[in-house]
Amino acid sequence: MSAIVTTYRPADLAELRDALTESARAGQRLAVAGTGTAQWGGLVDADAVVDTTAMTGLISYNPTDMTVAVRAGTRLADLQEVLAEHRQWVALDPARATAEGGTVGGIVATADAGPSRHQFGGSRDSVIGMTVVLADGTVARSGGHVIKNVAGYDLAKLFHGCLGTLGVVAEVVLRVHPRPAATATLAVACPAREAFTLGGRLIAESLEPAAVEWTCTRPRGPGLAQRAEAAREQRDGTLLVRFDGTTNGVADRLRRARALAGEHAAEGTPEHWQKAGRLAVGAPGDTVLRLGTAPDQVAQLVMDVDRLAATHAVDAAMTSTLFAGVHTVRLRDAPAAAHAAVVESLRMAHSAATVCRWAPDLRNELAPWGDPPPAVSLLRAVKRRFDPDDRLCPGRFAPWF
Amino acid sequence: MTERTSFDSHRPPSRELLDDCVHCGFCLPTCPTYVINGEEMDSPRGRIYLMDLAERGEIPLDRTMSAHIDSCLGCLACVPACPSGVRYDLLIEAVRPQIERHVPRTRIDRLVRRAVFAVFPHPARLRVAAVAGLLYRRLGLAASLRRLGVVRRLPAQVRAAEELLPPVRFRSLFGRMDAVVPAVGERRMRVALLEGCAQRVLFGDVNAATARVLAAEGCEVVVPREQQCCGALSMHAGREDEAARRARRLIDTFERHEVDAVVVNVAGCGSSMKEYGELLRDDPAYADRAARFAASVRDVSEVLAQLPPRAERHRIDARIAYHDACHLGNAQGIRQQPRDLLRSVPGVEVTDIPEASICCGSAGIYNLVQPDAAEELGRRKAAAIESTAPDVVATANAGCLLQVRRFLTTDVTLVHPIQVVDAAIRGVPLGEERR
Amino acid sequence: MVIFRIVEMTSRAVGTSWPAELAAVLGPDSVITDPARLRTYECDGLTGYRVVPAAVALPRSTEEVAAAVGVCARHGISFVARGAGTGLSGGALPVADGIVISLQRLRRILHVDPVNLRAVVEPGVTNLDISRAAASHGLYYAPDPSSQQVCTIGGNVAENSGGAHCLKYGFTVNHVLAAEVVLADGTVTTLGGQSQHLPGFDLLGAFVGSEGTLGIVTQVTVRLLAKPAQVRTMVADFATVAAAGDAVTAIVAAGIVPAAVEMLDNLAIQAVGASTRSVYTADTAAALVVELDGPPDDVAELFDDVQRICRDQGSTKIMVAADAEERALIWQGRKAAFAAVGRISPNYFVQDGVVPRGRLAEVLGRIAAMADEAGIRVANVFHAGDGNLHPLVLYSEADGEHDRAERLSTEIAELCVELGGSLSGEHGIGADKACSMPRMFGEDDLATMLRLREAFDPAGLCNPGKVFPTPRLCGERPGPYRPHPLETAGVIERL
Repeated sequence: MSAIVTTYRPADLAELRDALTESARAGQRLAVAGTGTAQWGGLVDADAVVDTTAMTGLISYNPTDMTVAVRAGTRLADLQEVLAEHRQWVALDPARATAEGGTVGGIVATADAGPSRHQFGGSRDSVIGMTVVLADGTVARSGGHVIKNVAGYDLAKLFHGCLGTLGVVAEVVLRVHPRPAATATLAVACPAREAFTLGGRLIAESLEPAAVEWTCTRPRGPGLAQRAEAAREQRDGTLLVRFDGTTNGVADRLRRARALAGEHAAEGTPEHWQKAGRLAVGAPGDTVLRLGTAPDQVAQLVMDVDRLAATHAVDAAMTSTLFAGVHTVRLRDAPAAAHAAVVESLRMAHSAATVCRWAPDLRNELAPWGDPPPAVSLLRAVKRRFDPDDRLCPGRFAPWF
Repeated sequence: MTERTSFDSHRPPSRELLDDCVHCGFCLPTCPTYVINGEEMDSPRGRIYLMDLAERGEIPLDRTMSAHIDSCLGCLACVPACPSGVRYDLLIEAVRPQIERHVPRTRIDRLVRRAVFAVFPHPARLRVAAVAGLLYRRLGLAASLRRLGVVRRLPAQVRAAEELLPPVRFRSLFGRMDAVVPAVGERRMRVALLEGCAQRVLFGDVNAATARVLAAEGCEVVVPREQQCCGALSMHAGREDEAARRARRLIDTFERHEVDAVVVNVAGCGSSMKEYGELLRDDPAYADRAARFAASVRDVSEVLAQLPPRAERHRIDARIAYHDACHLGNAQGIRQQPRDLLRSVPGVEVTDIPEASICCGSAGIYNLVQPDAAEELGRRKAAAIESTAPDVVATANAGCLLQVRRFLTTDVTLVHPIQVVDAAIRGVPLGEERR
Repeated sequence: MVIFRIVEMTSRAVGTSWPAELAAVLGPDSVITDPARLRTYECDGLTGYRVVPAAVALPRSTEEVAAAVGVCARHGISFVARGAGTGLSGGALPVADGIVISLQRLRRILHVDPVNLRAVVEPGVTNLDISRAAASHGLYYAPDPSSQQVCTIGGNVAENSGGAHCLKYGFTVNHVLAAEVVLADGTVTTLGGQSQHLPGFDLLGAFVGSEGTLGIVTQVTVRLLAKPAQVRTMVADFATVAAAGDAVTAIVAAGIVPAAVEMLDNLAIQAVGASTRSVYTADTAAALVVELDGPPDDVAELFDDVQRICRDQGSTKIMVAADAEERALIWQGRKAAFAAVGRISPNYFVQDGVVPRGRLAEVLGRIAAMADEAGIRVANVFHAGDGNLHPLVLYSEADGEHDRAERLSTEIAELCVELGGSLSGEHGIGADKACSMPRMFGEDDLATMLRLREAFDPAGLCNPGKVFPTPRLCGERPGPYRPHPLETAGVIERL
């Protein structure tokens, strides 16, 4: 990796455009960074960095229209604070936004989301408009300021998950939702399979949960198969179900959900969610892996993770947004080679796994990505059109492109 | 503009009616032919488009055009589905005679049509054909011909006719109805009953049941002796002159009887007779009389819906799938009355059939002249019926009864709804009255 | 005699052997080349534009679609995918000398998976049939365009279709998990997947709503939702359209997210009244249909709130649907409204634009003034909850009002943009509004979108002439650039 010699720190769209144009003239390869909460994908080999953290602040917010436009370097948590004054929120709760100050642009670029994706989908489902700057300095806007809009291509979707490789997100327009009058959580101690079945029942009973998350923070670590087995019998893991709505409505649903859940159910606390969030973010030294499966594959995945954690003597914890089929696995307390072995094995069945946090030295042991998705040739074709000289975040999607 | 049209000047489809179509496509999923082949020109929207182009003289009346007009079953499911109120019924009835006049048919099509119209509207001839058919079956000819593969090699139209033959008995073929059936108890109405041409030969027992139920409910039933075919088959096939001739004769016959209503138990006949006013509107001698007559026509379920049940119904425990005949449901808007009629019998559970609005493929003579499409529709309908696992299938049209019977794979009793009520009033098990 | 504009859109090269090749790969029964038959494919739900294609292909499988597209790719022939042909922006308008690929023979529901809450279907399946197939599991497919009984999921994917209940549940793009797609070179690929987490950028999200210009969808995996425990629906009458608009704003401001908020003005009510067993008050100036769904206690409380808000905003009468049948009647009238307008006017344009919700009353007032000035009647029936207007511009071809009405219709769409909204909320840009695109997007915006198109379809064979303005369509200069109103307002910057 070459040494970064230049840092661009634009404060607004014009400065960002100038930065991109200037760097294009200089032939610089660029990394893009916000608050630096994400290390998703491959390491970028860049000559300069575009730091978006000065591009902050609201551009427009009219609570009646329930849309808000912000500069991409704005921290999501700061945005939520402003919206909260009007009893509104952006229906996005990726853990790193609250825990680490992730920016709106960064969350878009990673397509990150938290437990609320069960009801509201991911960031792609909340973003209604976007302004981006391409590698050659082209400023392009798509979408708009209204929630319903099908005019033109939805480039905002395309930039979700691009990890900075297609352009730099400058401004984002989001739809906001009213904050519910009341919210409550059901916490049920149970293993994944049971959690999935119970979650399915709550959905089928039309209790309309806003989030259905199963988390398991029990250390697996050395000691192993027997211990994992024993722990499963001790009702390993916790199902967290959040209900949003009116005061009476939420109370009623929580009551009915408890009745369905049986003896291991209790009322959950914010601490339950914080714990799941901390797990998803990880800490320095951890490896955090995000992967997707069909929802009903969760129990199989848990078994695989258990087995691999035991085999490679890694402490593995996990949190799953059950019906979105999104799982986050945190590996801790083992040499990088062991982390690599677990990830490699998981990638055999789940090639789409993304490493979101890399334990020290793990990059020496593990390729950034597994087998490419079926549409990889399209990904490459799009990349070529948007950044023909491969100046933006080169290496991020290596070896796919 | 008129000189550029491809239609002749005798009652072409009107520009106003064509313009009502806004091309929204709401008719598509209701159209049986579109459901089968997914081709635009075999949908109501596509057919109207073709009519529109022909009206503008942009396409000729040729075999292409006739293929798509002929493929229409005339089930009219598109009419209630249309939010713009397009009168597809009037449009198709206007175009069929134009096709009939201007597009020469293929030889086989001509032969089949000629044969159909030489036999079906004539009870005596149909009786002969039916006897022949009966013998053909009784003597084991059917089985041996099938074994030899002869049937498979027949043209599809003939095969269809062969397979449609119902299991009739000699006695019912030749049974005659009484000219007057007196009301049981105090008379509430005096009605005249249409026997129907094919109906009286193939479904004489339905007529008998109709007369018995009407009588039991206080109707004096007159059965005019001289009555002939109502012309429905001709009308639906675009044989306008023939249809008009038959209509005049039927009006003459029935006008001789002073009645409160003319009762029909065949959906196809009823819907045509209700349109006599339209058919004969240009005939000064008949226009008014036809309109008056049309206004007096009632389906038997309509009549009974007006008469609160008087005769006791015995219990019949049966799950009955009710199949809406297109010419009852779509053409006459009669959907609720037959169901209510069935439900008037204690123990009866009436179930609806999935895809209820899709035609069974019978459609007058459609299953004889468009056998492939009819066969696919018949199978589809039979499968839909069987998915509801009924004990009995009830439908108020002779054609539907024949068609559905042909494709059902399970042993289900097929009846006209009136037969259920008849059995309940007489206290006999369903299906027994025919044995 | 009605005058229609035939838009000339000619595909690049026309070989001679391709019809035979097409027939060879699909079978002769699946290729239409007869001139009269082809005419029935010359337009979709928007009849003002008509182009006769060179052929129509009716494939029965993904492989056959790929084979048909392969023939086009080899011969440089443009192709246009077509579902039920109900689109209102001319998205399925054929290309002269090009072929139409009808997906009406791909109509199988392949799999309903109640455990994973999804269904896998072919593109020709109607929107409503998905819900019908899922009903026995207590599930349904949420997006519900008014034409849901006839429009197909393939068309919904192409247009990112919305519907009345999108206010709460989102649009097609929020409910499609994966799509099998035939690309312009005839290859087959899959976008999206089993899970919400997919590495790489969101090609599926970009594909949905691309109006058939990026490829042909041949299989769709959609999310299914559990049917809400309770649904309550009301019709609230208002003495003025503005009052109804204000009521919508007040409901939204109260933090209530109804399943649907629909508005009909008096002309629309008259049209609906002429066609169905109407439950709407014939002489009210405006009616709001508000539907709430969800858990019973929540719905009960919020339903009371909505009624109170409507009364506070001066509602003259509130009719609450007593049962499922009454609710069905309310919706039947609403959903048939476009076509029902055919009963009160010989001809009409259906417009589709969006304004920020706070500006509903304002835009309706301005539309009324513009209509007065033009001497043309405009009926309004629309998704008020998300600011998605559907002004119906009524005119008589015979009285020579066509051009005036069309101008008014375009002006209304552009007014929506001027007020900070969009040219289209759900019907798409298609052939109809391509020339208005420069009102909403700058040259660089459009050029960037075209980069995506070139990545998918470098030869430009896939539904050309739609979405983007071309000199051929829009005159030599594809519409003058003017600063977007949001730019002038300082909300956005263009550099």
